[in-house]
Amino acid sequence: MKIRHILLLLTTFLGVALLVAVSFQIRSQLLELDTAQRMAASNAVREQLLLGAAALAEERSRTYVFLIGSSGEGRGLDELMSARQRVDALLKAAGEEIGSKRGDLRAPANSLASLDRIDRDLAALRKRADEHLAAVRQGQGQDVAQRWFREATHVVEELHSSRLTLLQQERPQEPALRAEATIRLYGGIISESIARNQALMTGALSRSEKTANHELREISRNAGRAGLAWDLVQSQLTTPLSETVKAAVASSFAHYDGTFAPLQETNLTALLSGVNPALGPEEWYSVAQRSLLTIADMQQRLLDSSRERLEAQLAQAWQSVVLWAALLLGGIAAVFASVFMVRMRVVQPLEGLSSAMLRLADNDLSTPLPRLGRKDEIGGMSDALRVFKANALRRQREQNDRQALHARLEDAYRLLRNDLEAAAVIQKTMLPAASTLGLVQHRGLFRPSSLIAGDTYNVVQHRDGRIGFFQIDVAGHGAAAALVSVASHHTLSQAILTEEDARLDEIAARINREWPEDLPYFTMILGRIDVRDRRLTIVQAGHPSPLLVRRNGLVEVLGDGGFPVGMTHRAMYETLETDFNSGDRLLVYSDGLVEAENAAGEQFSEPRLLQFVREQAKSPTPIILDGLDQALRKWRGSETLADDVSILMLERLSERTVDAHL
Amino acid sequence: MLTSELRNNVLVVRVAEKRVDASKAPAFKDEMTQCIESGQSQLVLDLSNVDFVDSSGLGAIVACLKQLGPRGNLAIAGAKGAVSRLFTLTRMDKVFALHDTVDSAVEKLSS
Repeated sequence: MKIRHILLLLTTFLGVALLVAVSFQIRSQLLELDTAQRMAASNAVREQLLLGAAALAEERSRTYVFLIGSSGEGRGLDELMSARQRVDALLKAAGEEIGSKRGDLRAPANSLASLDRIDRDLAALRKRADEHLAAVRQGQGQDVAQRWFREATHVVEELHSSRLTLLQQERPQEPALRAEATIRLYGGIISESIARNQALMTGALSRSEKTANHELREISRNAGRAGLAWDLVQSQLTTPLSETVKAAVASSFAHYDGTFAPLQETNLTALLSGVNPALGPEEWYSVAQRSLLTIADMQQRLLDSSRERLEAQLAQAWQSVVLWAALLLGGIAAVFASVFMVRMRVVQPLEGLSSAMLRLADNDLSTPLPRLGRKDEIGGMSDALRVFKANALRRQREQNDRQALHARLEDAYRLLRNDLEAAAVIQKTMLPAASTLGLVQHRGLFRPSSLIAGDTYNVVQHRDGRIGFFQIDVAGHGAAAALVSVASHHTLSQAILTEEDARLDEIAARINREWPEDLPYFTMILGRIDVRDRRLTIVQAGHPSPLLVRRNGLVEVLGDGGFPVGMTHRAMYETLETDFNSGDRLLVYSDGLVEAENAAGEQFSEPRLLQFVREQAKSPTPIILDGLDQALRKWRGSETLADDVSILMLERLSERTVDAHL
Repeated sequence: MLTSELRNNVLVVRVAEKRVDASKAPAFKDEMTQCIESGQSQLVLDLSNVDFVDSSGLGAIVACLKQLGPRGNLAIAGAKGAVSRLFTLTRMDKVFALHDTVDSAVEKLSS
């Protein structure tokens, strides 16, 4: 998983968690808002229904009074009509309220249906009442009045019941609201009880005959119900309610307790005992009306207070929803902003650096580096990468320079090597090929340690038949030694040929004297074979002692040393003479042969050479030379040599052999 | 490759290497030249540790002797085996004073 994914995933996860938390909060706020809206709607409908019930109660009382003929001719008809209009207006308002709050109510259809039924019932009741009012004159409608009252009461109860159904559906949870609803409920009972007694008592007072007992019991029950309801209202006053509501309740109760209830009590007592009450029906009606007004006022206050509370709740719920919605939007913005920031400030620069690093790691030094110009860690990484690239470029440049230098060196080396190879060819051509000069046969072995050698040798024949020869080993090896060996080869060859009669020690001494001091010295064996006298003369100048292999197989070591040539001008040389009969052989070698070391650093050494030559003393010259070459390679364990090796073998042939050859 | 100490006004130069051959000769000559240029004229070259000297090495030793000039002395001490044979073979035993031990060489030079 890439860093980009980890960071984006983390940010997204945090963002989603935040959004989920906020969304849950918004959901609960929306639920609260919904509850508040439903409460408010229910309350608004209930308000109309309550007012409608009170108005209907008034219409019932006025109609009842009309029917029993208690009021004067035509009087109060206006009030009745206006009461009817009020009822119609309130019921219509309730219907409209239900219609407009349809969405916020639980069962608007049921409420509307019961309102319709109430409307129909009421219309039927009114029609019947109007027919009786027209047909039957005053004082003749006792039964009709009773029936009206019963059925109108039934309609009022229907209204109350609709209201209670709504209240049951949306019971307020808040204590003050709940108390207000409860007080309104009891207030409705009180209002209804007073309204019923307003009508019934007016009827009883206006009749001359004694009122029926069941009617008086009804009045008494209503009075008791109102008293009980007032007690219940009082019990709700412990809840903290608004001052206006408390004042309205108190003033309403004061009128009821101080005026209405005592009058009602007095009247009832009088009626029960058959005495004519002091109070006339009209006075009673208006006292009851006043009491109803105070209660209506109380109810209105309660309704206003509840509406205000609900509106406040609704406003608060809206406020919460808006607040949390704003938080939600802010959260979404923060999530997008952090995702954007992480992408722009971290992920993209990191990806740029990462791909640049990978390309640099692939040695793509032409890759452009991102320019960040930042002071933080990523900026630090970018700067470090810049330094790294600069170093890599410098290294590459240096490597290119080195490669160019290497190529030049290789060219120079190749040229040098070509030169050396050419020189080696020339040097080899200076060496005499194996041949027979008169009665002397010679053969050499020449193995330079590099292309060209400091060793050289030559064999020349004098005009008188004597054979002159030398072997030279210039100190050191390589090109310098090789050049000096060429010079000494020339010098010695010239000396042998031009100074035929000079003694060998004199020749050596002269060359030693004339040898330039700043040239390396060399060692040599300078020799002469007098075929006629069968004598061999040599000068040993620092060179290893040659071996004399006699015809009979005996091997002698000739000489014990002498000054090298070119080392010191004080050097003196001696000649050494011995017999050299037919079949005798002389083996001259350079120190590279005996100083050749094996892998353990042990030298081939003179004793081993002597042993080898003694064992091969009767072998032909080529066999001895090849054998020595093989032994040397075997000793070294490789084809390489640390120093030049040269061997020259000279053999005095017998006259017979030469004749046979000829 | 060389260590030196002054004994009785004689500078004893000891060769630490086992070989004085073509590869070592230039360094040997440089270090010896430093010893000589420091003003010492009586030198003992201790070769008791050396197993092999080749022609280049011998050339370097002779060059030192030439550099010392007629007033200087360069004695060889402790040459043995192949080294001793090389000195004999090239007659350098007639050019250098050869001693078996450093002590005897120092004694001879300081007297």
